[in-house]
Amino acid sequence: MTSPTAGPVPAAGPLAGTGAGPGPGPRPASRQPGGPRPGRPARRHLPSTPWLFAAPGLVVVCVFILYPFVSTLVDSFTDRRALVAGQWVGFANFTEMLHDDMFWIGLRNSALYMVVVVPALVVLPLLLALLVQKRIPGIGFFRSAFYTPVVASIVVVGLIWVWMLDDRGLINAVLGEVGIGRIGFLSDQWLLLLSAMFVTVWKGLGYYMIIYLSALANVPRELHEAASVDGAGAVRRFLSVTVPAVRSTMVLVGALSAVAAFKVFSEVYLMAGPKGGPAGEDTTLVMLVERTGTGLTGRVGYASALSVVVFVITVGLMLLVLRADRREDA
Amino acid sequence: MRFSSRVPHKAAVAAAAVAVLLPLSACGGGSGSSGGSSASGSGKIDGSITFQTWNLKTGYKDYFNGLIADFEKKYPGSHVKWVDQPADNYADKLSADASGGTMPDVVNVSPDLGAPLAKAGVALDLDGDPAAAKYKKEYLPGAWAGNQVPGLKGTYAFPWYLNTGPLFYNKALFKKAGLDPQKPPATYGELFSDALTISKNSHGTIATLANVPTIEDFGRYGVQIMNGKGDGFTFNDAKGVDLLTQYVKLYKAHALDPQALTATPDSAGQKFLTQAVAMNPGSALDLGHFKTQAPTLYKNIGITDQITSTGKVNMYVMGLMVNAATKQKATSIAFAHFVTDAQNQLSFAKKAAIFPSTAGTLDDPYFTKEDGTDTARVRVAAAKSLKNAVNYTPVVFSDQMKTELGNEVAKALQGKESPKAALDAAVKSCDQLLKQS
Amino acid sequence: MSTADGRTPGRAGTTRRPSGGAAGSRRSRFTDENGRRIPAWELTGRYALLVAVLALTVGPFVWQLATSLKGPTEDIFATPPSFLPAHPTLHNYTRVADTIPVWSYALNSLKVATANVLTNCVGSALAGYAIARLRYRGRKLLTLVFIVAMLVPVEGIIIAQFQTMRSLGLNNTLLGVVLPGCVGAMNVLLMRNAFLHLPPEVDEAAVVDGANAWQRFFRIALPSVRGTLAVVAIFAFMGSWDDFLWPLIVLSDSSKFTLTIGLNYLHGTFADDQRLIAAGTVIAVVPLIVLFACLQRYFFRGVGEGAVKG
Repeated sequence: MTSPTAGPVPAAGPLAGTGAGPGPGPRPASRQPGGPRPGRPARRHLPSTPWLFAAPGLVVVCVFILYPFVSTLVDSFTDRRALVAGQWVGFANFTEMLHDDMFWIGLRNSALYMVVVVPALVVLPLLLALLVQKRIPGIGFFRSAFYTPVVASIVVVGLIWVWMLDDRGLINAVLGEVGIGRIGFLSDQWLLLLSAMFVTVWKGLGYYMIIYLSALANVPRELHEAASVDGAGAVRRFLSVTVPAVRSTMVLVGALSAVAAFKVFSEVYLMAGPKGGPAGEDTTLVMLVERTGTGLTGRVGYASALSVVVFVITVGLMLLVLRADRREDA
Repeated sequence: MRFSSRVPHKAAVAAAAVAVLLPLSACGGGSGSSGGSSASGSGKIDGSITFQTWNLKTGYKDYFNGLIADFEKKYPGSHVKWVDQPADNYADKLSADASGGTMPDVVNVSPDLGAPLAKAGVALDLDGDPAAAKYKKEYLPGAWAGNQVPGLKGTYAFPWYLNTGPLFYNKALFKKAGLDPQKPPATYGELFSDALTISKNSHGTIATLANVPTIEDFGRYGVQIMNGKGDGFTFNDAKGVDLLTQYVKLYKAHALDPQALTATPDSAGQKFLTQAVAMNPGSALDLGHFKTQAPTLYKNIGITDQITSTGKVNMYVMGLMVNAATKQKATSIAFAHFVTDAQNQLSFAKKAAIFPSTAGTLDDPYFTKEDGTDTARVRVAAAKSLKNAVNYTPVVFSDQMKTELGNEVAKALQGKESPKAALDAAVKSCDQLLKQS
Repeated sequence: MSTADGRTPGRAGTTRRPSGGAAGSRRSRFTDENGRRIPAWELTGRYALLVAVLALTVGPFVWQLATSLKGPTEDIFATPPSFLPAHPTLHNYTRVADTIPVWSYALNSLKVATANVLTNCVGSALAGYAIARLRYRGRKLLTLVFIVAMLVPVEGIIIAQFQTMRSLGLNNTLLGVVLPGCVGAMNVLLMRNAFLHLPPEVDEAAVVDGANAWQRFFRIALPSVRGTLAVVAIFAFMGSWDDFLWPLIVLSDSSKFTLTIGLNYLHGTFADDQRLIAAGTVIAVVPLIVLFACLQRYFFRGVGEGAVKG
């Protein structure tokens, strides 16, 4: 249930320890087994008290998220359309998916997105965190500045980057000046996807940097000192001290970014357009949900079935990551 | 400025190919008062109604406030609340309101938005209500029929404003390519050959067109889009394949902008503005826009007619739908008619550079007399061409169908499929979507 | 091991938070976390890298700001691009305000975002506390409910949400805009994690002193997770400030529109005018940056709260 590793889990990790009882509350290696455990729930309250605590959140989540989701689940077995009540069609929507080219394109792109974006978001923010970890003058400014893309709205970010990457935008102007020549970032199917991935990473850097920063704060100094005494170089210290120490945070960042990447919508929608790039080749699964189900002629039933598939895959991903994490702990 | 870019594309307007389908679906000229409709709209005109427009508040606030004041003065006791929706996601907004039962009483729709609402029973059949049907003769017959839906009896919106426009071209770019800037292309043949010349002489850096062909382009090229019954698509005929084959050639030669596959109408306009593209469709409003936004372009602007093989230009149509479930039917009908009557359409047209859909209004001197300005020249030419203009986009051509067609066209342009195979596939999936709707 | 306010970590060895107190003296600024002096070349290298990353992360915003300040006679598509406006002007901002009632939209956004921040802070803290630090049957189920809710793809349920809101009679109200996101599942789980990492001894001591769950929550737990609350506040503010589709669906009257919907008019009305869109984006982003700048001290402390657990 709990892990004896030294890996700290940052406060900003909503997933740590999900489904594992009181959580794999990470603790320093020096703590003896059997010592008091952080996070063990305390007793002594009325039976109704916890429910009173949870009530506001529970009601909101049930009424506005889970109930609509259940009705989506029901819709996924019907042929409901935006303005027309549906008939029960069993698994027809799901079998239709198997023959729907767009579904496979969406699945491919969402998966690809994850494969490219996740490693970048696991590694780059860690390096960035190491860069801003040292408390040199002005570092507070840099930390805040690096966080700016996170706080800016995705629509704004999309507009800005479309403007930068356009055939006549700043980046192509610069590329033209230095003699590389213009690159059609926004016209080629793969470059479009890559540009969207870049924006996702660009926007996520600061967010995950913060998570790493808090994890790094907990790496016991003695470890570094010991390594320094051993004469380990920066790279070796990074690999043999830092990485193991923040391993569980890396898993967390991986899980968070994987789910977000798989459900990517805005970045691709804004860069590649509502139709998903040339011939729809850049469509992601969630974009397909949106496109299929919205408007006055939307096929709500089929779109619901697609939503359900997205949901099942993300849940699967999450379980996979958590299981892998636990196995490594063992 | 908004008008010019919204009306053509966002509205992506979709009336039946009037010329083609009309004879079959039009109800034969009678008043259409099928009688016996229980709660007819001929009651007293008072009470409160809600009127919803689509992205008109920023530009025409004063006009609509004045219009509403006039109506409330004319019918004491009536009150009109005006709401306006932004450009994006209008269909989603309507969809939510239709399924939630929160639809306003009088709603601004284009025919492609009106059709699904009519099928769902949300839109009032104007032919079926004597109070509304009596106004039929005030409108251009084609405009009235443009709000009919194949497979349904009746007409589901008052015709409102129409729009069409010329083709703008960049004289400087024509000249640079060795073409006569005074002789813009007048036929498709000339268009294609000029485009190839321009791209050849600019080494592929200047494209002539910025948009891939849409359903209306097929219509303008003379392709029969739907069969006579209106229950199947036919744009994969020889002519359709021919048009797409020409576009494939243009794309390969960079005469069709390389970003065209991902272009939005706005981005295409921008290309023209920055002189990366030599031609672009537009409307009278664009002229003023060019003047302020791109003074250098404005000096070189050339204006010519829309190119068609049918002799009938494409037009965009807007209408006002009356909510079938309105509690104030008489007031709603009266107001929808009031907004779209000849006098008010004319004054709106003068403000917004669009065209009225009421019979005879286009004969107003405003639309027939030039005053020496380019704006007036464009306006007069457009008004003239509207006399036999057609909305080539079928009302049943949904967003999903547009996406299917767009994707298949893109595959053909990229050389992944032959034009024939691409159009066959598009027709197949559009037919399937049509059956499901 | 740690005091009740959670600000003094028990294990001195792990204290490395900004508020740790050791950061004040001049000498310590130029040493690394191990107390060694940083060589000049390394310092230079670090600053070079920092500035490079700064250009990448903030540069695009500055570019947008520059575009928004360019006058109507300047060619914004010039090659090579000129970065600084030749004739800086605030005219584009006036035009935004002329086109849409930007202040009343901003006020609506502010109302919604403020409500969202309050409800999220209170609701997630309460629920997070319940699943992290209280014992009862059904706790795991409760956790699961929030996890599942977090994974639901919201894009697919918006119409169902609207119908719910309609049946509650809350369509076309700002309350209807706030409600669905007013306690985010993600925020609940964030708070849960923060509470989970508080040392149990604190609670145990308080229980011995006879404090009930509410007292423990308000007096001990809540003050210790202020940083995470700041994180939640910022996320809640960002989320509601940026939302477009949901407010659009719920609201009908333009007098109730939020800023994102209003700015969409801009996009539609001046489709081609990059200067105006740039001014609009600046108006949309600045409040977020200001808010973040105000809260960033708590924020960075909050993300360091992992250090509190001792």
